[in-house]
Amino acid sequence: MIELKEVTTIYDGDESIEILNGVNLHIKDGEFVSIIGPAGAGKSTLLRLLTREISPFKGEIILDGIDLAKIPSKAIPLLRRKIGTVYQDFKLLSAKTAFENVAFAMEVCGADKGEIDSDVPKILGIVGLGDKLKSFPHQLSGGEKQRLAIARALIHRPRIILADEPTGNLDLVNTYDVVKLLMKINELGTTVILATHNREVVNTIGKRVISMEKGKIVRDQVENGKYVI
Amino acid sequence: MKESFKRIFNVGWTNFKRNSYLSMGTTGVMVLVLFLFSGLMSLSYLTSQVVSGLEQKVDVSVYFKTDASEREITQVKSDLQSLGTVKSVEYVSKDQALSEFKARHAGDTLVQDSLAELSDNPLQSSLNIKANESSQYASIVTFLEGNKFRSLVDKINFYENEQVIKRVLAISGGLRNWGFLFTMALMMIAVLVTFNTVRLTIYSQKQEIEIMRLVGGSNWHIKAPYLVEGGLYGVLAAGIVSVIFYPAIFFISPKVESLMPGVSLISYFVSNIFQFIPLIFFIGILLGVTSSFVAIRRFLKI
Repeated sequence: MIELKEVTTIYDGDESIEILNGVNLHIKDGEFVSIIGPAGAGKSTLLRLLTREISPFKGEIILDGIDLAKIPSKAIPLLRRKIGTVYQDFKLLSAKTAFENVAFAMEVCGADKGEIDSDVPKILGIVGLGDKLKSFPHQLSGGEKQRLAIARALIHRPRIILADEPTGNLDLVNTYDVVKLLMKINELGTTVILATHNREVVNTIGKRVISMEKGKIVRDQVENGKYVI
Repeated sequence: MKESFKRIFNVGWTNFKRNSYLSMGTTGVMVLVLFLFSGLMSLSYLTSQVVSGLEQKVDVSVYFKTDASEREITQVKSDLQSLGTVKSVEYVSKDQALSEFKARHAGDTLVQDSLAELSDNPLQSSLNIKANESSQYASIVTFLEGNKFRSLVDKINFYENEQVIKRVLAISGGLRNWGFLFTMALMMIAVLVTFNTVRLTIYSQKQEIEIMRLVGGSNWHIKAPYLVEGGLYGVLAAGIVSVIFYPAIFFISPKVESLMPGVSLISYFVSNIFQFIPLIFFIGILLGVTSSFVAIRRFLKI
């Protein structure tokens, strides 16, 4: 369960520049939430708060009963291991193969070699990269890279997936594949929070849609949400 | 724990192999640094040989009057030998002095004819004193001045050589101190160059490090392979230096020996090979690991 209470964030220590302004939000376990809005609305900032890439200036961010704003720095890696993240620019390790990219996420969780050798090929098979284990990111297409990023996000079975414009660099077909994958993940019980400005994606998914504008939530369509600004 | 170290080492080794251009550049810089260090060690050895050579040439000779008996001179000799500061005392009798003089001037007929004209031996018996350290000559001469057989002494040539001895002391002291400072300064510059090279290598990995943090890697997970990688640069550099340095010294040593007889660089380094090579490896690894550690701190904000 995720809860934001009166969360405000500022830009670079300047209190006059508010990015999020008194945001209140409640997300239940297992929900699929799309966050939409124009550029600069604060969608990415919201996601970055959940991984503690940034800290709120004011307010509380409660994740499973823990206020993320108050956790110490050394607990941040532990937090991030519970959350799977997918980004527009994929954020893959260019010097590691597909196998090693996914294995890294398991290694940081302390998995042993046996588990890694068993689980990684399976997950890569699920996302359709079973024959690309030894390929480097630069040898993969855009769609394949994003599927690799999703495999990495899933490998340690997180309860939450955060996807920040995951289809931004993809064509229509790959976009559809990625969205299908995310929906399937959600069906299996993972909470998915998707930030996007792709109208077709949002309308296809047809679940909860939160609209943001200038750092505030302006609309919350709990069911069958449509892309409305 | 063992598996963890194995994994870290494997990741570091894989990174080292894959970043081959960067690895070559960084290793190249470290090879130069280690060569510089080896060169400075050679220079230090040569300097110490020059210094001790100079110091060995310094001595004090005490010339006795012609009426001094051998027994009395021997007594002065044993008094000197009982001093802790005296390394050796050599007694040259006047007969011995004369035969040495004749031998030195064997080709000079004027000298030989002049000596033949004299009925008595004009040369004096002497004691040739070498001190343990050049700075101790002054105290030895003071002892001689206060010795009960002072009246038998005609001349102590310390006073004539005092300026030379002082100059030798100053030069040897200067060479030691300045040599050490120069070495330290060069090594510091070399270390800074290495550090910056490693920092550039890690800077190129900045994005990768950030991604690893986003995926939940702890500082240790991210840092450790880079430390291994830094150590591997050091090992490779040390290996290259070890292989090139000895053949290089083999070629240079005869040339140096022609300038400084009796000083053999190759003998020195061969006799110390089991200390020198581990030292080079140790410095290489220390340099690599330390540079990586300091360079990565910036990106991990420890």
